[in-house]
Amino acid sequence: MICPRCDSKEVEVMVESPVGNVWTVYICNDCYFSWRNTEGEEITNPEKYSKKWKLNREILDNLQVIPPIPPLKEQA
Amino acid sequence: MAYKDLREFLQKLEEEGQLVRVKDEVMPEPHIGAAGRAAANLKNGPAVLFEKVAGYKNQVVTNVHGSWANHALMMGMPKDTPVVEQFHELNRRWDMYPVPAKHVSTGPCKEVKITENINLFEVLPLYRINTWDGGFFISKASVVSRDPEFPDDYNKQNVGTYRIQVKGKDRIGIQALAFHDIAIHLRKAEEMNKPLRVAIALGVDPIITFMASTPIMYDQSEYDFAGALRGGEPVELVKAETANLDVPAGAEVVLEGEIIPRLRTCEGPFGEFPGSYSGVRAQCEIKIDTITHRENPIFENLYLGMPWSEIDYLMALNTSVPLYKQLKESFPEVQAVNAMYTHGIGAIISTKCRFGGFGKAVAMRLLSTPHGMPYTKAIIVVDEYVDPFNLEQVMWAITTRCKPDKDVTLIENCPGMPLDPSSYPPGMHTKMIIDATTPVDPEPQLRTVELVEDPPKTAEWEKLLRELWTAK
Repeated sequence: MICPRCDSKEVEVMVESPVGNVWTVYICNDCYFSWRNTEGEEITNPEKYSKKWKLNREILDNLQVIPPIPPLKEQA
Repeated sequence: MAYKDLREFLQKLEEEGQLVRVKDEVMPEPHIGAAGRAAANLKNGPAVLFEKVAGYKNQVVTNVHGSWANHALMMGMPKDTPVVEQFHELNRRWDMYPVPAKHVSTGPCKEVKITENINLFEVLPLYRINTWDGGFFISKASVVSRDPEFPDDYNKQNVGTYRIQVKGKDRIGIQALAFHDIAIHLRKAEEMNKPLRVAIALGVDPIITFMASTPIMYDQSEYDFAGALRGGEPVELVKAETANLDVPAGAEVVLEGEIIPRLRTCEGPFGEFPGSYSGVRAQCEIKIDTITHRENPIFENLYLGMPWSEIDYLMALNTSVPLYKQLKESFPEVQAVNAMYTHGIGAIISTKCRFGGFGKAVAMRLLSTPHGMPYTKAIIVVDEYVDPFNLEQVMWAITTRCKPDKDVTLIENCPGMPLDPSSYPPGMHTKMIIDATTPVDPEPQLRTVELVEDPPKTAEWEKLLRELWTAK
């Protein structure tokens, strides 16, 4: 399985439904996209996920950092 | 008048016909998000309680604050109370601050405690709110933290609403923008490379949620303000399990954990209050290590999208009142402030003008308030007899009082709200002031203006016509 949004293979099951065997939620450990297997193919299928919202490594490596990480203060 | 917790408020909403129950089981997507949008589309729409969500144990409620009727009931006022009356009542109660909170040893939020095998999905029926959200978001949390430099200072404790993205069974992302109070706490912790403890209260008294999204001063207490807005009835607080943090005793759920220092991971996008998706950014992460909750907790969450939706009621009058108070302190001529538009990105000030240029100067004062500085972009200033909550009157003032070549001012290179998609780079913006007040000396008034006043006996006729009308 690959991430529908960034096509990463770093995908794992986040959780199975607590009641019944109704759904599974997956998480991508590269872009942190999560999806439920009962959602539509436009969400769950990498080939059908909207190109407008796709991410790639270059984007992930250049994200704006919020809030900025401050310099460390020297401990007294 | 005040509600002790969310459940008591839901009961009131149901009695007043402002809550509907969905008894049939629904799939989390797309139904809960769609119902939140739909409820906000209805005039005076109700809260919506989902009793059964497929695969989950607990109930979800949405649109609890999502209409002026619900807003009035939150204030303990009749549900048909006009908005401007709610504004004046909030102003009146505001002045009762501080009403010190009552600290109790335990409360309903402690009924169940979990410290091992944390699984948020066991407690919260999480769902995707809008289609292109990067995951399942908690959109209506009251996040509590303290200033690491002053850990015993209750007033510097912050209670704020920040968006939260679920990234694991015990891991969440949080958006702390640089101008948010929690970012001050976080900066101090990260400078020392220490985690920042947080308690996240979900499903609380509606006034506490309201205050968590109200821009007040850094060393003012949201809880003591909530006591004021509850008409002088203090809120009840208990200590969190793992840190010196105060949480509402009646909360449905309290998540406790810590912001991992100096770590940022991919977060978003998220359909945000300006009605467009935020970008994808590297943001903070929290590891949850303790959960306490009531038996059968109700998960309260909100829909947000193109205004107006539920979130707009949580940043309308509670944005207007503090800005009004801050302006009034410097300029008693100010009559009212309507900053209900997209969390105060748009604002209207009604003021008497003491001398030429006064209207523009009052607008600049608003731009130098802690909230107005980053958020407010477009300000309209009108004369004191124009009701800023009556948009027909405001448009009349612009169409008949404004001379664009001298009355429209642009101020470049100012702070901006990064979630406003026209802010570029995100966080920077140009401010615009439209001065639609009548010129006063020494500004020359090029033509005389005589207002058309109501004919004599208009008020009597209004009353008579209303009686005839309702009697037919």
